[in-house]
Amino acid sequence: MLSLTTEVLVIGGGATGAGVAWDASLRGLGVILVDRLDLAEGTSGRFHGLLHSGGRYVVKDAPAARECIAENRILRRVAADCIEDTGGLFVTTPWDDPAYADRFAAACRETGVDCEEITVAQARRDEPRLHPEISRAFRVPDANMDIWKTVWAMAHGAQQCGARILPYHEVTAIRRDGDRVTGARVRDVRAGEDLTIEAQVTVNASGAWAGQIAAMAGIDGVRVFPGRGIMIAMNHRLVNTVINRCQMPTDGDILVPIRTVSVIGTTDVHTDDPDDHTVLESEVDRMLDDGEKLVPGFRQARALRVWTGVRPLFEDAKAAGTDTRDVTRAHALLDHRQRDGVEGFVTITGGKVTTFRLMAEETVDAVCDLLGRDTPGSTAEQPLPGSESGANYRLGERLARKDERLRQEQTICECELVPRSRLEHALAETGSRNLDDIRRRLRLGMGPCQGGFCIYRTVGIMHAAGGIDAASADASLLDFLQERWKGVWPILYGDQLRQMRFDEWVFQGVLDVGHLPEAPA
Amino acid sequence: MRRRDHDVVVIGAGTAGMVAGARLAEAGADVCVIAKGVGSTHLAPGTIDVLGYAPGRVESPADALTSLAADHPYALIGSAAVADAVDWFTATATAAAGAFPGYAYVGSLERNLLLPTAVGALKPSALVPETFVAGDARQLDGLTVVGTPLLRDFHASLCADNLRAAGLRTTTVSLEVELDRVDANALGFARRFDDPRWRAAFSARLAPLLTGAGPVGLPAVLGLRDPHAVLTDLQAQLGRRVFEIPTLPPSVPGMRLFEILHHALRRAGGRLVIGAGVVSHRREGDRVAEVQTATAGSNTTYAADAFVLASGGFHSGAITLDSHWQAHEQVLGLTLTGVPDAGAPRFVPSYFAEQPLSRAGVAVGPDLRATGVSNVVVAGASLPGSASWREASGEGIALASGYRAAEVTATALGAGAIA
Repeated sequence: MLSLTTEVLVIGGGATGAGVAWDASLRGLGVILVDRLDLAEGTSGRFHGLLHSGGRYVVKDAPAARECIAENRILRRVAADCIEDTGGLFVTTPWDDPAYADRFAAACRETGVDCEEITVAQARRDEPRLHPEISRAFRVPDANMDIWKTVWAMAHGAQQCGARILPYHEVTAIRRDGDRVTGARVRDVRAGEDLTIEAQVTVNASGAWAGQIAAMAGIDGVRVFPGRGIMIAMNHRLVNTVINRCQMPTDGDILVPIRTVSVIGTTDVHTDDPDDHTVLESEVDRMLDDGEKLVPGFRQARALRVWTGVRPLFEDAKAAGTDTRDVTRAHALLDHRQRDGVEGFVTITGGKVTTFRLMAEETVDAVCDLLGRDTPGSTAEQPLPGSESGANYRLGERLARKDERLRQEQTICECELVPRSRLEHALAETGSRNLDDIRRRLRLGMGPCQGGFCIYRTVGIMHAAGGIDAASADASLLDFLQERWKGVWPILYGDQLRQMRFDEWVFQGVLDVGHLPEAPA
Repeated sequence: MRRRDHDVVVIGAGTAGMVAGARLAEAGADVCVIAKGVGSTHLAPGTIDVLGYAPGRVESPADALTSLAADHPYALIGSAAVADAVDWFTATATAAAGAFPGYAYVGSLERNLLLPTAVGALKPSALVPETFVAGDARQLDGLTVVGTPLLRDFHASLCADNLRAAGLRTTTVSLEVELDRVDANALGFARRFDDPRWRAAFSARLAPLLTGAGPVGLPAVLGLRDPHAVLTDLQAQLGRRVFEIPTLPPSVPGMRLFEILHHALRRAGGRLVIGAGVVSHRREGDRVAEVQTATAGSNTTYAADAFVLASGGFHSGAITLDSHWQAHEQVLGLTLTGVPDAGAPRFVPSYFAEQPLSRAGVAVGPDLRATGVSNVVVAGASLPGSASWREASGEGIALASGYRAAEVTATALGAGAIA
């Protein structure tokens, strides 16, 4: 069996795990990161895209608000290319307690979250589709963050420092030597091979799955309650500013413009299984109704895709009480030497995407303690690869590039303006022949037509590029169609139903993919 | 407000509407086909797939048609009308005075051809353009599939590899061709193939690269003006039989199919107005008296004694499902059938399973008359009861129901038996 040795093994390739890999690499530590799936395929890739200003938490959870605004300022600098500076608005709609607005403004001042009240007229000039009966409006520095870009930038940065990033490597056992964790045994699920990774410190950054990984290390009581939330991506930028309801945080009160879509979210339903991605019709209806309260006519817009993410809500059964009120959205860093007498093992869970960098930094501080190093972290100053110029992403960048090379470059995905060269680069760079992996890199197939045209083209180009036979190409195509359908069928109405019937025409009527040798019976 | 009066107004310019319009015009009716836009023809491969799967692969549509459910469109149309429609269409498409002299449709209800798709599956079709015939896998031993990187909507290597997996000896040629830009869609290539010098240069470049045996499969771009001449030239220049494989839309053979039907409609004195979406209608008692269309300048009212509704299903926007999960027939406000009840699943989690909503359509009686009105006959994808893509039956239903709708309508008008 292949065996690898490293100083730090990171389990989990979400924002936190990738952040740990990046931070530790910058401090000169040897790093291997493993994830059972692709990077950012769990909770990180399933959030609404909001880089919080902290406004959401100012009244309810002041420390969280302070963390958010501090991280917001840092990430705008170091992850500039992954962030679009949309700004945010908190608006009081007719359904909101009008008294909350003053509490909100005061709490923003106390927590240091930049906040400026503007006139309703100004808010409606900025965002003409806003509900006409809003009574108060506050500007805050919300933004959106492309999490895939962020996670891949950190992974690439870590790789440049020598780290090994191993997606599709599932942990099958945590290695223990007496009271010490010495790494893990993992399975390369694509190659079907097992390997052992020997590590001085193992970081459990598996988020909602942290309890499962800790249990594999023989550590109990790490309780993570997965809180499932649904999000719906609506076609177009219904708004160009993040819109929040000015009220105590609840369901369906945020609308985030990101890339070419607007995402409404979310709900919070306790689930026992972090892999539970159920979408209920009642939840969809609720989101659409909530959308109407922010932007009248919301139900007439086109819903592209629905998905759920699971928040890792942490409760430490070894803490003072076991009351569920201790369940917290704050992050939790567990040094199992102190907590359980187990050396070489650290768990980081809970938290939110906005604070991933801080979580990673605190985790690597703890790792350095265990290793007896005292190198300070530098992720608050060091820009991610691609963000060196400090310029934020702007909507329209892809279109501008396309215009420059209109006659020199084929467009493979018209919805997301993906040129052939980028597709071929991604195929070469990742070596992946999985359409879903490519989708996450390039946003290919994520626009209004949901892959109606680009997926056949991509499979054809992938096959011609080599390294894949027809059976695997077919399987990849069919898997993609099934995966896409999962996020589409619960919200099929209006123009998107029409689109999917058209896509069926392409895939079944023109290509007859249902009768490929690999097709399900 | 402009106002026009006709014997019959056909709503929808897909295969069903165009067939109904052409047949009614041939019967002597004053007919106008109005449509929001061009229809199914520009998307579908241009073949007439009568019945490909039921649910296993169908060898003989004529046999399989008799065993369909009683509420299937073919059962309502009747097998005699299906056979008549196929005969009429074959004659119309092949007519010397037709849109494309020499260009013929080939096939029958007795035996499906088995034709490669762009991904390399083999799809059963009953009637196909002559430019497809050499691709019939039943007659094939070896073949060569030719593509070019400049046409992103057709990928020869994937197509060939799947055909190889199906047991056909297949070779591939990736041809570099000269264009003034880095890509063109099927339509762009078809316009180039219309130019005899361009296609001669294409053949000259391709001929030395052909090594394998058998016919040559090209993406379906062999011209829009004179496809018979393009096919003839290429076969002569390459010294092999040549056939077309459908690309992603726009569909060049489908556009030819549209031209064939449009030509037949015009020749018989019928009119076609594209860009005329119906925005409202007026009833008199149980009759639809007129429809209003939104057209450039001002709206136009079309009054008629009878209407044929061939506006399509969910894919065309003629039938919609709103965000409260209510289905509507948008054009004439007709009653729908086959829509799952509130609370029942409209879709199921498996993409490849039949979706419960897929058989919904406008409720009709046995002679395709819309329920609740006396002068509307329904044709094509507006009809309930079929799962057209899964069955590979959409174009056949469109042809046969368009044909039958014309028969029913002409009889009701008293225009006499159709010639």
